[in-house]
Amino acid sequence: MESEYRIPTVPVVTARFEHYVQNDSRNHGMFLRYVFPPHPVGFIPKEKLRGYVDGLNPVSGKPLMPEMVEALTKPLTEEEKNPVIEKRPKHPRLLPPDTEENLHRLFLENGWTDGLPIVLPTEERVAEMLTGTDRDPQEVVGRMSVTTHQERLEYTVEKVAVIAVMAGCRPEHLPVLLAIASTEIPAFPSSTTSFSSMIMVNGPIRHEIGMNCGLAALSPFNYANAVIGRAWTLMSINFGDARPGDTFMHSLGHPINYNNLCHAENEEDSAFEPYHVEKGFKPEESTVTLFRGWNYNGINLGPAKAMAEALKRQSSMGRAGTFLMDPLVSAHLKDEGFKTKEELRQYIANEAETFPQMINFIVVGGQTNPMWVLTDYTPSITVSIDKWIPKTGIKKDEKPLRMPQPVLCKDGICGI
Amino acid sequence: MSKNLITVLDPRGQPSGIFGKVLDLSNPMAILDPEKQPTTTLESMTGQKMADRLDTLEGKTVYLVETGFAGAADFMKEVQGWFQRNMPSVKTVLRSKRGNMFTDDPELWQEIKENGDAAIVGVGG
Amino acid sequence: MAGKITVLDPRGQPSGVFGRRSSGDNPGTILSPRVRPVDSREAMEKLQMADRLDTLEGKLIYLVDVGFPGSKEFLEEVAEWFKENMPTVKVVYRQKRFDPYSDDPQLWEEIHAAGGDGVIIGVGG
Repeated sequence: MESEYRIPTVPVVTARFEHYVQNDSRNHGMFLRYVFPPHPVGFIPKEKLRGYVDGLNPVSGKPLMPEMVEALTKPLTEEEKNPVIEKRPKHPRLLPPDTEENLHRLFLENGWTDGLPIVLPTEERVAEMLTGTDRDPQEVVGRMSVTTHQERLEYTVEKVAVIAVMAGCRPEHLPVLLAIASTEIPAFPSSTTSFSSMIMVNGPIRHEIGMNCGLAALSPFNYANAVIGRAWTLMSINFGDARPGDTFMHSLGHPINYNNLCHAENEEDSAFEPYHVEKGFKPEESTVTLFRGWNYNGINLGPAKAMAEALKRQSSMGRAGTFLMDPLVSAHLKDEGFKTKEELRQYIANEAETFPQMINFIVVGGQTNPMWVLTDYTPSITVSIDKWIPKTGIKKDEKPLRMPQPVLCKDGICGI
Repeated sequence: MSKNLITVLDPRGQPSGIFGKVLDLSNPMAILDPEKQPTTTLESMTGQKMADRLDTLEGKTVYLVETGFAGAADFMKEVQGWFQRNMPSVKTVLRSKRGNMFTDDPELWQEIKENGDAAIVGVGG
Repeated sequence: MAGKITVLDPRGQPSGVFGRRSSGDNPGTILSPRVRPVDSREAMEKLQMADRLDTLEGKLIYLVDVGFPGSKEFLEEVAEWFKENMPTVKVVYRQKRFDPYSDDPQLWEEIHAAGGDGVIIGVGG
């Protein structure tokens, strides 16, 4: 309205977002004349709203409506007429040398971590991490922002390796992280509603890097699941420029943001075809799928009808979501007569009065309980990991970790 | 990365000789609170003995006790059906354990002692 | 270990690429960084604020509801305030189409064509 149509405009935003919108405004080259009523204006009685209009702007301390009138009538200042967009300088590749203790303190105090201890990204460690891919360390992988309008930050293969070191990863995990980074999707976009995300890996890489898709796949026992999930969070902080109060406005925040429910699909024990095959990838291709939503609603038992009823009751994303089901559930569903995920999807969509394409299924777990979890996650993207894997294959360490194998069910025991 | 040898402490807890025990029916929710959960000791557990086995089940009374896990009641009905079809002289008595799957039911054990010869308890799972 | 070491800076680098409002035709694009509209520093540097009005008396002011909870009710109170305090100001209430995150060029065009003198838009929150 201001620039293109030349119509003076007052943007009205509640006072809780003063800092956020002023930053955003500076990013866009105009110091817009915001007016701030108290927060919030939604879900409050009419008399209270009247009080806000007749009262003061809590930010400026001036009467709200006369300030609005003034915002439309007071002539523009020279600064307002000739705005300058602050150009952010590029950071040097290396931080100034310091002791380990001081560097750990620096990372914490600058908000570059998730609050848990990190591994410091020395040149030696990052070089070792980069052996996990053939790609040029200076190749740009993408740009990310946790907000919609602010400047996106650019990152290279080397930067992704820096994050991988910080998260505690090993070189064999790097291809998955590069695939995730290439999507440019942050794990937690800035929304007051506190989004969360989910990472799910398919294909041969699951076993090559020791991911867990079986018993307790979503619990904190498996190294690969833990560090890959954490690395996406550290990317979102450092590449997505997530700074609480400045660019990040989750009201309560979300504990899933620590690890993003990172797991692999239990393709071996599933009665259905793997997720990535369903999406058009080859079974021998390795992929990572990112999901976004808010809620992980366990525990549920029962047949397809119960699944449809749960979806019908779900309110946050309407009747859309992703079911995580133990392999036992997939077997029971097959016994119920659903030969494919597609048949199940059609049935649930009909019962829940929604669209089939809004329903997804993942098979994961160790068959100790025929339970399923309804999440309100919807898939954002599925990308191939293969192009980030070295031509010689996943980097095998000279002394591979003897991590416990995924605990899968023995043939016959579970009746699958 | 230094290659010098270093010494670190073992993070694992130490064995205590204290074990959990079946819950008292008067407070089934104690399972949620380790302070109230009944415990037993290694010493008292070592005194436990299995009962002598029967010569045969023919003509005997067997209690089928369902514990409360999903599917247990239906499963026990099938077990009863099997006895009726295959060992009709066995008298089966279907019973549900009181409380929930985690609680003890001494009254039921007493009743089985007085009226029964054996018990099949389940299904855990 | 008090010796100094050097580590890499973990932060992404400024790119000069900024996000932009989604087009009204496909508001879902806000969810995907790959298809979300972007803006450049150069284009944004050309943006200018409009000249202010001498007075609001007798002017046509649009109250544009962006769609966040409470916006409609708040703007109704604003309209009421004008009626009581500046009755010569003509206010017109309009809702922005789509969701709070999308652009609505049709509405801006309409306000322009109708000779709107000023806009109060909100409430973000």
